[in-house]
Amino acid sequence: MNHIKITSDGTTLVNRLGRVMRRLKPFILGTSGTLFLASCATNAPQDTWKPKGPNAQKIDSLQKPVFAVAGIVGLIVATAVTYSVIKFRDRGQPIPKQSHGNPALEITLTIIPALILAIVGVFTFRTVFDLNKTSDTQMIINVTGQQWWWEYDYPANNEYGITQPIITSGQLVIPVGTKVMLRETSRDVIHSYWIPALNGKRDAVPGRITINRIEADKPGIYAGQCTEFCGLSHANMRMEAVALSKEDFAKWVANQLKPYSAPAEGTLAKEGETVFLNQCTRCHQVNGLTRADGTPVIAAPDENVWSGAVPNLSHLMSRNTFAGAMFNLLTPECRTDVWKSESASFGAKYLAGVSEPCLNQTDLRGWLRNAPAMKPMYANPTQLAATNGKYRGMPNLGLSEADIEKLVAYLLTLK
Amino acid sequence: MAIIERPVSVEPQSIAVVAPATPSSAMGALKRPVVTKGWREWVFTVDHKKLGIMYMVTAMFFFLVGGLEAVLIRLQLALPNGKILNADLYNQMFTMHATTMVFLFVMPMAAGFANYFIPLQIGARDVAFPRINAFGFWALLFGGLFINLSWFLGGAADGGWFMYAPNSGPIFSPSHGVDFWALGLQIAGIASLTGAINLIVTVLNMRAPGMKLMRMPIFTWMILVVQFLLAFAVPVITVALFLLSFQRNFGATFFDVSAGADPLLWQHLFWIFGHPEVYILILPSFGIISEVLPVFSRKPLFGYPFVVFSGAAIGFVGWGVWAHHMFASGLGPVSVAVFSISTMAIAVPTGVKIVNWTLTLWGGKLWFTTAMKFAIGLIVLFTVGGLSGVTHSVAPSDTQQTDTYYIVAHFHYVLFGGAVLGLFSGFYYWWPKMFGKMLNEKLGTWNFWFMVIGMNLTFGPMHILGLQGQPRRMYQWTENRAGEGFFNFGFWNLVATIGSLVLVVGVFLFLVNIFITARSGKVAPLDPWGARSLEWMTSNPPKEHNFDSIPTVHHLDEFFHRKYAEDSNGQMQQIATAEEVLKQLEDNADAHIHMPSPSYWPIVIAFGLPVTALGVIYSIPVAIFGGLIILMGAFGWALEPSTAPDTDFDPPSAGDTSKDVVHVG
Repeated sequence: MNHIKITSDGTTLVNRLGRVMRRLKPFILGTSGTLFLASCATNAPQDTWKPKGPNAQKIDSLQKPVFAVAGIVGLIVATAVTYSVIKFRDRGQPIPKQSHGNPALEITLTIIPALILAIVGVFTFRTVFDLNKTSDTQMIINVTGQQWWWEYDYPANNEYGITQPIITSGQLVIPVGTKVMLRETSRDVIHSYWIPALNGKRDAVPGRITINRIEADKPGIYAGQCTEFCGLSHANMRMEAVALSKEDFAKWVANQLKPYSAPAEGTLAKEGETVFLNQCTRCHQVNGLTRADGTPVIAAPDENVWSGAVPNLSHLMSRNTFAGAMFNLLTPECRTDVWKSESASFGAKYLAGVSEPCLNQTDLRGWLRNAPAMKPMYANPTQLAATNGKYRGMPNLGLSEADIEKLVAYLLTLK
Repeated sequence: MAIIERPVSVEPQSIAVVAPATPSSAMGALKRPVVTKGWREWVFTVDHKKLGIMYMVTAMFFFLVGGLEAVLIRLQLALPNGKILNADLYNQMFTMHATTMVFLFVMPMAAGFANYFIPLQIGARDVAFPRINAFGFWALLFGGLFINLSWFLGGAADGGWFMYAPNSGPIFSPSHGVDFWALGLQIAGIASLTGAINLIVTVLNMRAPGMKLMRMPIFTWMILVVQFLLAFAVPVITVALFLLSFQRNFGATFFDVSAGADPLLWQHLFWIFGHPEVYILILPSFGIISEVLPVFSRKPLFGYPFVVFSGAAIGFVGWGVWAHHMFASGLGPVSVAVFSISTMAIAVPTGVKIVNWTLTLWGGKLWFTTAMKFAIGLIVLFTVGGLSGVTHSVAPSDTQQTDTYYIVAHFHYVLFGGAVLGLFSGFYYWWPKMFGKMLNEKLGTWNFWFMVIGMNLTFGPMHILGLQGQPRRMYQWTENRAGEGFFNFGFWNLVATIGSLVLVVGVFLFLVNIFITARSGKVAPLDPWGARSLEWMTSNPPKEHNFDSIPTVHHLDEFFHRKYAEDSNGQMQQIATAEEVLKQLEDNADAHIHMPSPSYWPIVIAFGLPVTALGVIYSIPVAIFGGLIILMGAFGWALEPSTAPDTDFDPPSAGDTSKDVVHVG
């Protein structure tokens, strides 16, 4: 057993590790490369390692080296343990000298990780402050979370043609290459706004306003998800950020500001407007909608819904999603067509909105038929004792199939 | 129970009068229990070893409950749009899975080990306050059962184990689940707090002669650090839970935003408790493997003082990192940067431990028992969790990964790869000590590999899922966000679910091992592992009074140094067998060893707590009734005779023993 050199004080550890590492290098590179490719090839819409804008890019430039360093340290530890386990297993060698340690080695092995972390710390510090810079903001959007959807409120901003505030939901539309500041808050519990391709997450806290900056390099749709647990339908509280070229964004703004045009008399859509007036306008606002006597219809969601807000449905069909972006307004084929389109053609496709052949009739009708059956909500009158009868979510309105037919025809006109 | 007759070397004294075996009484009514057979042996016991076992059995039960919850979660997420659980039930499931595993499995299991082994490791005969020890156990058991009672009374808590306000308020969580959760944890918290004080006093005051702090076994050290963490952290969560209970049950507005409250208050309170809690969960396991690695490497722990001080450093710095759980909550760049740096700082003492364990193996004579395998598994797997933790300390990176499955992967590597593997290492290492029988090593090896492979299959893919953007706490995931190709959400979620089933097999093999060992296990030799510390200087299982005479300690690893010494060539040579060491203690046995008497009152007071809590939720008169039980128990506790007289016991001891009685407790 003389060939086993027992070095209980570990002084030759570094030398030995070096040799082992050299031998293992091809293996390590091979494995990590395969894993990397395996996890990258999926194009997952919420991939946290695929930045599509400068804020997310800053995070990415910081996190990739940190992951690499962590990976290397992990391999060193695993190698050292594996080596010890093989090398020092009981082969009948005598009981080793009862050495209690080697302070010099200990201190060295304490200082090295401390130094690595200090370097990481410096870059972290810089990035934290960098990401919090707000002085060069070009556009502000107020983002409000509530169970279980997001509302986007664009304050008037003449530079972008927003002559009066725009309120929308489901999809956050922004111009590319623009430093957008999201001012987040919540109307009920804490939510968290997260579009991984554009920036890290930021909580929307009731009673507070938190700031999040996003910017997209290229036109396209970037997926996100509420990431602070917010109750029953947390899993269904999604969002999408839509980046449009500056010209396309101007068109989008113009469309959002387009006045209401009532459906023509005698059409199915006109009957749908009547159903909408009777059934939906207690909560849902459609800007410019008037009653038969010409008085404007002002929804009062605060009287019926705990958070006091429901999605504004003006220009519903200019969006691709509904019900907190849980469902698509587009059929799967049409959705793929928009999501997969090239940057250049994306704007036109998105701005086309939802046409009748592209409408996802199944989900929209299902929703109108019985919303709580499609998305878990506190919408059953027996569950509302704690909220004095106010809903958290859309109740089952008990609409007839004929009414649903009419409503769908009407909603399709809300371009 | 209480009087232990010493072995034969003392002259048997002639017994003049044998008094009838009746309990002594105070105020003509209050008595100490004297029957030490059957169920009373356990229910009224104050023996630290029995209580340790009871803690462990309770923790094991809740481990299985929490494991069942975990499997349901994984089955739900195996495929897109899972239908096994609905949203409401899923939210309850992950809340209770975490609550159960943290508060009702890892903490009580560590408490069980601490209870059983701290007195043995420091050469004491029991803890400082045996009745409080018993009370702590019963409070924990009743608290745990109370929380789980909510499953049958309208649904369990559904706000996540972090229970963020205002989502935990009466409006957003209208069932009684959160009430049960808050009050049940309050009761379990009382158990933790009494246990912490008890063990701190025990360790600081009851060490064997010669056992300086720096000669204390490393497990005892880590448990001591944990008890200080508990003593300071539990009051914080107690305050937070009181605020929550008052908000929910008595209309207070601590977290009501419309009344001007700031919901971040809860987050700060919770994480000031919650982060030290992480170290409360992991340090006992660090202590266990710091015992196991030297024993099976045949050399002392490398850098003992570094391991001690890094443990203490983790204990201190652990108080300054809580806001890293809140990097996304909008604290502002200064707070974020500071907590980012402090979080990196805590990686250093943690790294020191990993280095020391590895260097303990280095140059050793390694014996791969199951306990050793679990310990080595901990080094590697905990390192993975520690390093993913370092990636979170980089706050901007954390804002991408927090609340995704990457975090789930991280803390399961820390808590399963770290805490749980350490506890299993402890089971295999100390089983012969506790039950006098050897767990089957072959089955243990299967147990180990199934658990390690299962845990890597379960939690490994979660790193990738998180980086691909799958958020946590979602009762369903959809194909819309799953990505394309073979290695998308679908693949990794399925792998994780299959992994969880492998894990289940691993745990099941452990239960089988217990069963087989109990029926036909090999009787353990006195010193099966060639151990190094005091708990092995007594019989297996230990006598009721632990040691016939309290050893005087001259070394760290006292037991080893009584067995081995360096010869003139610097080689370690055996100078005594374990039997000889033990014989020496027996030969110098104390004459009469007076052990603490059992008591009726710990379980009575502990029972009053859930009754009171039930009353807080449903009806105040019931709460008052519960309060009366506690009050009555407290009077009984205070007024019962301090000990039963010698004549109470069968066989009764000789009259005057006052000269050579050794009192404990």
